[in-house]
Amino acid sequence: MEKLVLFIPFIPILIAFLIGMLNTKILMPKVSLYFSSGVALLALYGTYYVMSNDTEIHGFGGLLVFNELSAILVPYVAILGLVIRKYATKYMWDEPGYKRFFILLNFIFSAIYLLVMSNNLIILTIAWQLMSISLYLLISFNVESTSAIKNGGWTMLIHKLADLLFIIAVVLTYKTFGSFDLTELSQIWLEMSQKGSVDDPRIYAIGFLFLFAAMMKSAIIPFHLWLPYTSEAPTPVSALMHAGVVNVGGILLNKMAFLLLLTPAVLNVAFVMGLITAIFATLLMLAVSDVKRYLGYSTVGQMGYMIMEVGLGAFSLAIYHLMVHGIFKATFFLESGSLIKQARKDPNIPRRLTYELFWEEKPQYNSINMFRLIALFTVVPVIAFVGIKYLLSESGFEFNAAIIILAFAWLTGTQLFLSFFEVTKANSLKVLSILISSFVIILFTYEAVGHALERFLYGEHGKLFYEAATLHVSFAMTILMLISIMVIGWYFTYKQHYVNVPIGEHTPSKTKWRIYKLLAKEGYISDMYVKYFKIF
Amino acid sequence: MLIDFILLFLFAGVPYYVFFEKTKILGKEKIFLLSAFLVICGMIVSSMFPQERCTLVIVVAFLASWFSLYKAKQTTNLYKLSYYVLFFNAPMLIMFETKESILYGISLLVTLFGIYLMGKYYERSYGSANYRSVSGITLVTPYAGLFLTLYLTTLALYPPFPNSLLFFNAILSTDTNSLWYLSVAVIFFGNFLIAMRVMAKTVFGKPNDNVHYIDLAPKERWLHLAIFALLLVLSAAGLKELLS
Repeated sequence: MEKLVLFIPFIPILIAFLIGMLNTKILMPKVSLYFSSGVALLALYGTYYVMSNDTEIHGFGGLLVFNELSAILVPYVAILGLVIRKYATKYMWDEPGYKRFFILLNFIFSAIYLLVMSNNLIILTIAWQLMSISLYLLISFNVESTSAIKNGGWTMLIHKLADLLFIIAVVLTYKTFGSFDLTELSQIWLEMSQKGSVDDPRIYAIGFLFLFAAMMKSAIIPFHLWLPYTSEAPTPVSALMHAGVVNVGGILLNKMAFLLLLTPAVLNVAFVMGLITAIFATLLMLAVSDVKRYLGYSTVGQMGYMIMEVGLGAFSLAIYHLMVHGIFKATFFLESGSLIKQARKDPNIPRRLTYELFWEEKPQYNSINMFRLIALFTVVPVIAFVGIKYLLSESGFEFNAAIIILAFAWLTGTQLFLSFFEVTKANSLKVLSILISSFVIILFTYEAVGHALERFLYGEHGKLFYEAATLHVSFAMTILMLISIMVIGWYFTYKQHYVNVPIGEHTPSKTKWRIYKLLAKEGYISDMYVKYFKIF
Repeated sequence: MLIDFILLFLFAGVPYYVFFEKTKILGKEKIFLLSAFLVICGMIVSSMFPQERCTLVIVVAFLASWFSLYKAKQTTNLYKLSYYVLFFNAPMLIMFETKESILYGISLLVTLFGIYLMGKYYERSYGSANYRSVSGITLVTPYAGLFLTLYLTTLALYPPFPNSLLFFNAILSTDTNSLWYLSVAVIFFGNFLIAMRVMAKTVFGKPNDNVHYIDLAPKERWLHLAIFALLLVLSAAGLKELLS
C-alpha cells in the first residue's frame, strides 16, 4: 500500500494527458483538482507512514524514495499545488490557452515531485531539466507579449547554464565515486568525512558545480535577473515560481548535504554569496519602483538567506525557511487579484492588518498600553530564554546559524511591517514594539521548529554540518551582531520611511545620489545583460 | 586517420559547403535528405570501424560546427535550419563512442526530419519554408504549434525527449578532456540557442494579421504523431541506456 506513494510524480502527467483529451472546458480544472487532491492525500499518508514507522519508502529499483525530506516537501508542494490550481480555475478562465495552462502546470508539478523524490542522479538530472522547460513554457504563456517572451528567453539561458553545470557535476560524480544512487553516495560521503579532511580537487569541483547550479535556479546574485523580470507570467505561475520553483536550489543542496561535508570551502562560498544577495537584493527592493519587481527582489533576498543558512551548515533550517517563505509569498501573489478588485472600489484599500493596527484611529481603547503589553510578553520571554540557554549551555544557541535567524527575523519583520506602512513620529514606537515582537516570535519558531526538523531530517548527523562549516560564530559575536544589525537597520529604516522630513530644505549629497542611482538601476546588471548578451 | 576524415566528410557537411552551397545544383529541400543520407552512411562506416578518433579531426569538426552555428543563426528557413543543425552536431557524432553516437544520430535525424516536414507544411501553407513573419502559431494553428514546440524542445536537449537522454548517455560513456568539456558545452548551448531562437519567432509572438493561417491537415497530423511516437520510443531506449 505504501508503495503507492511513489507514483506521486506520475499522477500529474496522467492528469495532463486526461486534460489533453477533454474538450469540455469546465471539466479541465475539475479533473486537475480531484486528482491533485488525491496526490495531496497520498502525500500526507506517505508522511504519516514515514513518521510513524521511522522508515523510508523505496521503489522503482531504488530510483525513487519517499524519505524524511520527501515527507516534508511533497505534502507542502501538493497542498500548494491544490491551492494554485483552485485559484487558476477562475483566474485563467478567460485566457486563451486554458487547456494548455493546466497541462503545463501539471507537468511542472510532476517535475518538482520527481526532483524531491529522486534517489538517483540520473532521475534528478531529468527532473532538474524538465522543470526548466516547463517553467519556460509557463512564463511565456502569454505568447503575444514580446517582453514576456524575451524575459522567458533570459530565464531559460540562466536555467540552461544551471543544467549544464549540473550535468557536468553528475558526470564528475559518477567518474569519481562510481555510482548514481544518492543513498549509496551519501553513505560514501559520510564515511569519507569521518576519515578526515579531503584534498581531492575533483570533489571540490563537484561541490562548486552543484552549488552554482543551485544558485542559478535559486536566483542568487548575479544570476537573479530571471526572477524579478518574469512577473508578467500569470499570477498562479508567479505564485508557483516564488513558492516552489525558486526553492529547488535549497532542495538540491539538502540532497547533496553529505557531499558538502567534504567541502567546507563550498559552504563558505555559499555563505558569502548568500550574504551579498540578501543585502543587495533587499537594497534593490527598497529602490525599485515597480511593485512586481519589488516582490521579485524580496524573494531573491530570501533566497540569499536560504543559501547563507546552507553555508553555515543549517541545512534543515533552509528547508524550513523555504517553506515558510513559499507560503508567505504565494499568499501575497494570490491575494493580489482580489485586492486590485477591491481597490478599484475603495481608495482606502488595501486595508491590511498593518493598516488596522497602526494607521487607523481606534479611540475605543488605549493602543499604547496594548503595545507595551505586547513588548512585555515578548521581550521578557526572549531575555529569559536567552539567559536560561546561556546558563545551561556554553554554546548558547544550538544553531551555529543563530545570527542568520536573528538577521532574518529582523529583516522579515521589517519588510512585513514597513512594506505598506509609513512611519511617523507619532507611531514609530508602536512599530518598534511590533518589530521586536515579530522578531521574538520568529526566533522562537525557528529555534523550536529548526531543531525538530534537524532531528527528523538528519538525526545524529545533524551536528556534523555545523562542524564542516568553518565560519563559526560565537555566542557573544551573535549577540553583538544582533544588536548592531537591529540598531543600524532600524536607524536606516526609520530614516527611509520617516515621512515628516521636509523634502525641499536639503539636497542629497553626490555620494548618496550615486548610491541611489546604482540601486534604482538595479546595479546595472540588467543593462549589462541586454548590452553584452544579444542572443534572443 | 582516413576513416576519421571520411567521417568528417560525411558528418560535418563538407559536400554542402564545398559544392552545393554555391552551385545550387540541389534545392534546399533536397540538401537535408542528402545530408541525412550521408550521416546514415557515416554511422554505418563508424560502426564498421570502431576506433578512437583523431583529435585533429575533432578539432576541425568543432571549428566547422561554429560556422554551422553561425549559419543556423542567420537563417529563417526551416529546410536550411534542419541541415545546419545536423552539421553543427558533427563533433559529437565523431567524438562519442560508436553505439552512443549512432543512437544520438538517429534521434537527431528523427527530430530534424520533423522540422523538415514542418518546413514542407510552411511551404504548402505560406508559400515558402521561411518562418519569418509567421509568428504566434500556438494560438492560431494549435497542432502546428504543438508539434513544432515538441521538435524544438527535443532539439534544445530537454528531457523527456531522446536527444537529451542520449546526449547525456553519450557524455557519460566518453572519457573527459579539455576538448570534451569545450565541445559538450558548445554543442549543448548551441542546440539550445538555435531552438529557442526559432521557438521565440514561430511558436510565440503575435499572430500576423496579414497572414492567413492554416493548421496541419489531418494526414500531416498523423505523420507528425508517428514521428512523436518514434521520439517517445527513442526516449524509452535512451532512459534504458542511461539506467543500465
